[in-house]
Amino acid sequence: MKPDGKVVLLGDMNVGKTSLLHRYMERRFQGTVSTVGGAFFLKQWGPHHISLWDTAGREQFHGLGSMYCRGAAAVILTYDVTNLQSIVELEDRFLALTDTANADCIFAVVGNKVDLTDSCALLPEAEDERPSEKPASGCVPTKVKRQVHADDAIALYKKILKYRMLDEKDVPAAEKMCFETSAKTGYMVDHLFETVFDMVVPTILEQKAEGPSQIVDLNNCKTAKNTQRSCCR
Amino acid sequence: MEAEDPGLPPKGGMDLPQDGVDLPEQKISPGSMDTGEDEPSVALDEQVELPGAQNNGPLSVAGGKGDVQEELTETREESSEKDLSDSASTDNTLEDSSEFSRPMVMDGGPPGEEEVAVQPRPPTHRDEDVTAESWRAHRKHIFVLSEAGKPIYSRYGNEEALSSTMGVMMALVSFIQSGDNSIRSIYSDDRKLVFVQQGPLVLVSVSSTLQSEQQLRQELLYVYYQIISMLTQASITRIFERKKNYDLRRLLTGSEKILDRLLNLVESDPCFLLGAVRCLPLQPALRDSLGSLLQKAITPNLVFSILVARSQLVTTVQEKTVIDDCRLEPTDLHLLLNLIGATSAFQTGEIWTPICLPRFNPDCYFYAYISYLDADCTVCLILLSTDKESFYSVSDCKKRIEEGMRTQSYLQALSSGLKSPSYSVAMVGAPDLRHFMYKPLDIPDNYRQLPQFTSPELEGPYCSESERHRLFDLYHYLHSRIHSTARPLRLIYHVAEKETLLAWVTSKFELYTCFSPLVTKAGAINVLTKLLRWIKKEEDRLFIRYPPKYSTTPNPGKGSKGPRTEGAENGFFGGL
Repeated sequence: MKPDGKVVLLGDMNVGKTSLLHRYMERRFQGTVSTVGGAFFLKQWGPHHISLWDTAGREQFHGLGSMYCRGAAAVILTYDVTNLQSIVELEDRFLALTDTANADCIFAVVGNKVDLTDSCALLPEAEDERPSEKPASGCVPTKVKRQVHADDAIALYKKILKYRMLDEKDVPAAEKMCFETSAKTGYMVDHLFETVFDMVVPTILEQKAEGPSQIVDLNNCKTAKNTQRSCCR
Repeated sequence: MEAEDPGLPPKGGMDLPQDGVDLPEQKISPGSMDTGEDEPSVALDEQVELPGAQNNGPLSVAGGKGDVQEELTETREESSEKDLSDSASTDNTLEDSSEFSRPMVMDGGPPGEEEVAVQPRPPTHRDEDVTAESWRAHRKHIFVLSEAGKPIYSRYGNEEALSSTMGVMMALVSFIQSGDNSIRSIYSDDRKLVFVQQGPLVLVSVSSTLQSEQQLRQELLYVYYQIISMLTQASITRIFERKKNYDLRRLLTGSEKILDRLLNLVESDPCFLLGAVRCLPLQPALRDSLGSLLQKAITPNLVFSILVARSQLVTTVQEKTVIDDCRLEPTDLHLLLNLIGATSAFQTGEIWTPICLPRFNPDCYFYAYISYLDADCTVCLILLSTDKESFYSVSDCKKRIEEGMRTQSYLQALSSGLKSPSYSVAMVGAPDLRHFMYKPLDIPDNYRQLPQFTSPELEGPYCSESERHRLFDLYHYLHSRIHSTARPLRLIYHVAEKETLLAWVTSKFELYTCFSPLVTKAGAINVLTKLLRWIKKEEDRLFIRYPPKYSTTPNPGKGSKGPRTEGAENGFFGGL
């Protein structure tokens, strides 16, 4: 069975892509080891099956990014708010990978690890934390200086639109598509994924209405093969 | 994407995607092509006198004269491609240089002995203080460096902080090389230094264990193969051909844990020593059913199906046309399992990742589908395909296997076998026997089987890590005597301080046994007879006696499934 829509998480290593997904899918935070290749998850969203690809941020797997991105309906570009380089990398290294995504691909820019910065006020919002789980140790004692601010993310979002040659009027507003999350506390994680999924649904419907679309390789090769045969005979 | 795809060639040459490394075309100035590294006139004195403060990047062991020029070009290149790892890591330079200025190695002492300056001990081993006494005290150090002397990996301590040490190692290598010779090992009173050069990589082991040089060399090869399994030999060669002083850590960051874990395993799991896989003891009927389940759930380009439970092999199926005269090598399986074990992220979702089986073909990638079949993540299914794009069809195979296992309740049967930790040596019924390792050499169809071995859980006095290490040291010693190239033995009776060991190799098996210290020679022989009889009785359960038949996947050319993409798109490092 082929999923209806594809959402891909991209970003440098150690920004917390796997943790974000883990928080959303399994409702908990768990220290993870660096991902190898890509991991596939299937999420039921209403009547649709959305496939989620968690990719490895390591440079070793860089060449795979475009494969994972092929036909993506949405790309979640993730950075670490305490690491300026991680957002620079998004533009330098990861944006080009999205060339294989759908033309109407939705972009979200996500700054993770806000729990590490001074924004302590964010923490109480993590209400889905079940009391039985080990309590989040409140604010982390050693605060790290925030290196990336919301403005930087919005600037990046605009650069993405420029790169994709999209008009700001046709796409969701930057303010709406830039998120700051904490996989550790769960802050805004659900909001992020739900927003993205909701935006992906119209694309799915459109595709379904159009019938076979270009993301189904199967059809492509069938038609190609047919032409081949008629040529040969 | 072309519809017309030759698919799998009928025989012989496997058409694995040859993934290219697409380094951005760089203007490499002639200076950077300087092959100073290999210059025969490497003068140790010159290097030692190099002022450390100037040595901004990781040390490159080059003939003194080329150095400054090379450094300059290096800086230019690095900055042009935003090499973060390099620039970020220069903060170790000071420590580096101070250490470097010590007149070491000059008068013959092994380098492992020299890099000392006592300082307090650090918390984690990656950030370990490489100048501390405790760092020196490790049983076994492993270093990987490039031919240009750039650090790639160190088992303990930050490899950047060790760049001068590695520089000395490279100096030794090239010094000997300059005499048209190659350095193999250095023996000191309590340490062995073993050098292995594989292509552009140099691997060094500094060990105070009882292992033979040959065994240490084998371990270094495992490390090399693990690196290859992630990058392929072809890519590594290509990278260093294009740029001699490339910092390979760029591609290996995040993978240190895999190498760390491998080195711990090598010291504690006999599968590496014996070059054999450990099978999960299982009723033969159940194993056969699982095998035929795997055999049926196939798709074009699916080459290997492997079912493991807690790193023990349950069963494996190979595709016929592709692997006609090849079999899966134990090394490849060990490295694959190590990779899987080192990645906790694997335990949810389905993984799709390129992986090279270095012994099978060091230059090509397979695409590995990895998924756990139970909630506890003990039963793991690995499907290896040659088609990068076949994730969904391979994932579909897993669904069929899962379904088959559910309807037949195989999973419960499997997990019940997993609850008890392997088996106890007490089952043999010989009280003097403490532990053994048995590798059969008379398995039917041996030529197309993985070499296998069995051994009980470690119990009794071997619960602590140090005791375990002691036992394995002894096993290593026996193994080295048995497999000594100079004077191989068939039977050794070895009375050690706290135990008595006996190793025996025949045409049918290779056996290592450990007895309580008070056993007599006659008593030990009696126990051996009993043990061999017990193994004979249990062999259907302990080993895969009759491997499942080959699977024959439909010819991909005629199949309905999509074609394989070739060319640039397959470029693993396409985005580099």
